[in-house]
Amino acid sequence: MAFVGALIVMCGLASLSFIISQLHKIIGLFEKKKAAAHAIVEQPADIDILNNLEVAARTYQMLTADLGDSFELVKLYEIFERENLPHPHLTISAFRDAGYLIPLGSGLFSWQKV
Amino acid sequence: MDLFFEFLKNTGYYLADIRYVLMICVGILFCFLATAKKYEPLLLLPIGFGIIIGNVPFFKGFGLGIYENNSVLHYLYFGVTSGLYPSIVFLGLGAMTDFSSMLARPKLMLLGAAAQMGIYFTLLSALALGFAPKEAASVAIIGGADGPTSIFLTAKLAPHLIGPIAIAAYSYMALIPIIQPPIMRLLTTRKERLIKMHDTERQVTRKELLFFPILGVILCCFLAPASIPLLGPFFFGNFMKESRVVDRLAKTASSSVIDTATIFLGLTVGASTQADVFLTAKSLGIFFLGSVAFSIATASGIIFAKIMNIFLKEKINPLLGAAGVSAVPGSAREVHLVGLKEDPTNYLLMHAMACNASGVIGSAICAGILWSFMMR
Repeated sequence: MAFVGALIVMCGLASLSFIISQLHKIIGLFEKKKAAAHAIVEQPADIDILNNLEVAARTYQMLTADLGDSFELVKLYEIFERENLPHPHLTISAFRDAGYLIPLGSGLFSWQKV
Repeated sequence: MDLFFEFLKNTGYYLADIRYVLMICVGILFCFLATAKKYEPLLLLPIGFGIIIGNVPFFKGFGLGIYENNSVLHYLYFGVTSGLYPSIVFLGLGAMTDFSSMLARPKLMLLGAAAQMGIYFTLLSALALGFAPKEAASVAIIGGADGPTSIFLTAKLAPHLIGPIAIAAYSYMALIPIIQPPIMRLLTTRKERLIKMHDTERQVTRKELLFFPILGVILCCFLAPASIPLLGPFFFGNFMKESRVVDRLAKTASSSVIDTATIFLGLTVGASTQADVFLTAKSLGIFFLGSVAFSIATASGIIFAKIMNIFLKEKINPLLGAAGVSAVPGSAREVHLVGLKEDPTNYLLMHAMACNASGVIGSAICAGILWSFMMR
């Protein structure tokens, strides 16, 4: 009885010790996957937006396709924020100035197809 | 005049005998150790005063004593006999414990397991000395050096022994500075005591700290479901702390809640040492076996650390094995102090805390295992 008891405690704590020694690796693995997924989404961030507005507009149009043909700028801003795209205000303003965002009236906009 | 003499016969002065006086002296000694020597004052002070209260002689049948139905002390004592206070104490302990040092050094967890060998050795010794199996298991758990765990298991297996076992467990916890250092020095060479533990371990992330209580409760409680009343609240308390979203609850659990439970636990355990119930040959046996259990637990942790060193490239300081008993943070502090005496630049505290935290889990699992063994 004593031997079995001692063995169970030893095995229990040894397995807990093993699991926690691997825990950071497992978490690291998940985080790597997550980071990789983020990297794909964040690719547009690498674009020099102001100097490559056309490339940026093409990429961003794909990301915001769910909004439909017309949308409010605030919705666009929310998507930019959610996707961690850099400088959302500045980018939207640049798109408007360059005519990539066309005002439809009543606060609605649509993309100029690139 | 008759009424006056009747009254005198009902006073504690008249009813007292040498046993009560002796126990009151023990209570005063505990209070002295707690206040003057600062030996585990949070435990010894309520217990000491409880001993004094519990040993005021009284007329039986008035519903005054802790063992008499409907007395106030009896109601408060329910928290002990039902295992309620130990569970609450574990909740608070969990909310106080920082597992990061243990998570950074998982191999030190094995020392917490090794130190539990004292429990099983004492179990065999107690059985050999003629204790009934359930009593033997309750005595053996003293080797875990964990007061609440000892009380919890004894309440389940041998409630009539709660008094002596709780007093023995808490006394030995308070006497760590006296009991452990000689064993540490006896079992280690100076060279071993000088081994430095490197602090180059990785940084533990918040996610690990969050996952650990969940993993811990699943792994430990699935292994020994009887340890749920202790480890469940323990890991829950820790999860509250690490989640950082219920700071108020975690703070309350680690302060007001645990303090309240400790006060009533200490006071009622002390009061349960009524001389006529407490002063028996069995109590002496329990005290003797308790000291054996505690010493063997310390020794087995140290010896296991030395065995680990045979296989490890980077040696660990065998003193850390002594912190595998679950007396938090007393034994970790003692390991640190013994290490510092040999080399004032050798800081072992964080490593010892890792063993200590593991010891808490280990002793609770042991309690669960013993309980399930004895219930069969």
